[in-house]
Amino acid sequence: MAATTDTVASADAPDLSAPRRTLLLLSRLWAWFFLALMILFFVVTVPVFSGGISFLTVRNSQNILIAIVPVLLLGLGQTFVIISAGIDLSVGWVMSLASVLSALALRNSYNAGVPLPLAVILGFVAAAGAAGAVGAINGIIIAKLKVPAFIVTLGSSFIVRGLALLWSENTTVVGLPDGVRNYGNESLFYMIRGEHGGFYVFAPPPLTGDMLRQMDRILSWPVVVTIVVVALAMFLLHRTTFGRYTYAIGGNAQAALRAGIPVDRHIIKLYCLSAVTAGIGGFLSMLQFTAGSASIGDPLLLSSIAAVIIGGVSLFGGAGTVIGTVIGALIIAVLTTGLVMLNVPAFWQFIVVGAVVIVAVLIDQSRDLIVGRYKG
Amino acid sequence: MRVRSIVLAAVAVAALTVAANAQDKKLKIGFLPGVVDPFYQVMQLGVEKAAKDLGFEVVTQVPPTWGVEAQTPLLNAMVARGDLDYIITAPVDKDQMVAPLKAALDAGIKIITVDTFLGDGDYASGPVTFPLSYIGSDNVEGGRISADGLAKAIGGKGTVYINSTNPNVSSVEGREQGFKDEMAKKYPDIKVLGPDYNLDDMNKAQQQTAAILQQNPDLAGVFGTNVFSAQGAGTAVVNAGLTGKVQVVAYDATKAAMDLMSKGTVSLVLAQKPFDMGYMAVEFAAADSAGVTSLPKRVETGFAILDKDNASDPNFARFIYQVPGQ
Repeated sequence: MAATTDTVASADAPDLSAPRRTLLLLSRLWAWFFLALMILFFVVTVPVFSGGISFLTVRNSQNILIAIVPVLLLGLGQTFVIISAGIDLSVGWVMSLASVLSALALRNSYNAGVPLPLAVILGFVAAAGAAGAVGAINGIIIAKLKVPAFIVTLGSSFIVRGLALLWSENTTVVGLPDGVRNYGNESLFYMIRGEHGGFYVFAPPPLTGDMLRQMDRILSWPVVVTIVVVALAMFLLHRTTFGRYTYAIGGNAQAALRAGIPVDRHIIKLYCLSAVTAGIGGFLSMLQFTAGSASIGDPLLLSSIAAVIIGGVSLFGGAGTVIGTVIGALIIAVLTTGLVMLNVPAFWQFIVVGAVVIVAVLIDQSRDLIVGRYKG
Repeated sequence: MRVRSIVLAAVAVAALTVAANAQDKKLKIGFLPGVVDPFYQVMQLGVEKAAKDLGFEVVTQVPPTWGVEAQTPLLNAMVARGDLDYIITAPVDKDQMVAPLKAALDAGIKIITVDTFLGDGDYASGPVTFPLSYIGSDNVEGGRISADGLAKAIGGKGTVYINSTNPNVSSVEGREQGFKDEMAKKYPDIKVLGPDYNLDDMNKAQQQTAAILQQNPDLAGVFGTNVFSAQGAGTAVVNAGLTGKVQVVAYDATKAAMDLMSKGTVSLVLAQKPFDMGYMAVEFAAADSAGVTSLPKRVETGFAILDKDNASDPNFARFIYQVPGQ
């Protein structure tokens, strides 16, 4: 039960020498250092090679936050699932399905006379409900019928993909009311630079022409929602019985069962959670692009798993944190943005992310070496 | 036609004036096409040539896959640079890209769309009016030309099949529409199947076409609406040993499409003019920044129709997509 109490050094390595302790700490925090180094690299190189433009701007920070929203929402539930030594390959298409169904629910209810805010809520309910149903089915087959998670979620991802394409009638779901765009693209704060500048909450002052260029939207609504979801996930994983059960099952499912943890029921909940966070991702992207799309989530699946692994979640289960996944998603987004600002083809992003994923797993494995588990 | 020539001449003059003043303010232009393919590579050559001629700077990013989730982060990062005056882009969805491009406009960057458009493409009185201009093919007309070409090749009767790339993209949607309309109007003995969408994946286009060939052994022709569709469909026809029996009409004059034509698989290739689109878009940016206010909202760049007989004629062969290093 050691792994259930805490994942940080003290639990699995009670009496280590000082240098080993330092090494262990480094192995846990390297992703933070890597992110910091990367930001430093772009802060220095972007102005030099791109004619004085700056990497450190409010707008850029907001762009990076907007860019991590879908990857992070796919990765958050996945973090729980992988900590429990499972995997959920269906999240990409669950996001697409949620995007399509929430667009249909929003459009059809609005056209039937439901006021817009309520229609948006109905869209959310459709997204979360459909995603939750997929997650429940995944979880039941995995937990009760003992089919490997890899196979179950691979199969369900195909089924969900088919449903998303069928229900979207193989095209983008459009015709959403105009106001939807504001939900997906307006923000909590507005900052206007320059002499008539200022800081505004909820709505910007009336602006004309060049003033718009001086305005930054800070914390757009999808980012706000994502921050709330991240906070909830952190609470759930690190402060509740739910989180302790998750680590315990990933550490040793047999031991967890003997300790009286309702393993099957917990696994079903984990796959529901994973699908629902992906569903929220689909809902938010529907708002941002003002349309439902059956192909929106598929390309993000592998990035989201990469973010989870870079963040230090062990594929063998039992270890990992929510904030690690946030760092992983940030690394991917900062890379894309920085490369575009350097005017280097953004394809380099794939090469760097690939290398970082492999390094992450190497470091994960070396942790056992540092602790001396294999040294007899 | 005459009006357009005059306007274009005015644009060219304005562009040269701007070039003369290039020391004062060097325009910076972002180029964000739809996906990695030979069509957009040729367009990029046009953009870069014009920028060189006019003394502008170009920042290019190419999305690795077709889709709003690939194009939008690159767009946002370009906007975050804070130094671009214009973005020349091919929106990957006519509805979904409205909000992200509107955000770029709000940041003070003017938008010119090439190859694909937003909304219904009528930037004067349609649902979306903020882009400066659409420069591209008249894709509905291209679909009609393809229909006439295919109908002629198969003798005016039989079953034909459309293989397309993605739904809700203005360019290929126009082609499908023009093709279907023309067939329905002029060729009552031709039955049209499809479109199937291959999501810009050649392998999938090949599979889909192979399946249609299985299902319809008497299939007479295929219309491939872009690079990926045409190459995939052409390969399926060759693999089935039906070269010459199933006629293929292909959008986009890639090297691969021309090879298939010389082998007799493809009977007609519709070459678009991506170089023109890229070059003119940069000229439009120059003209707009110089204060020209009468830029046309829509410019159709036309086609070159290539067949076996004219493909080696230099006047036509120049429209084959030539990419350095290939």
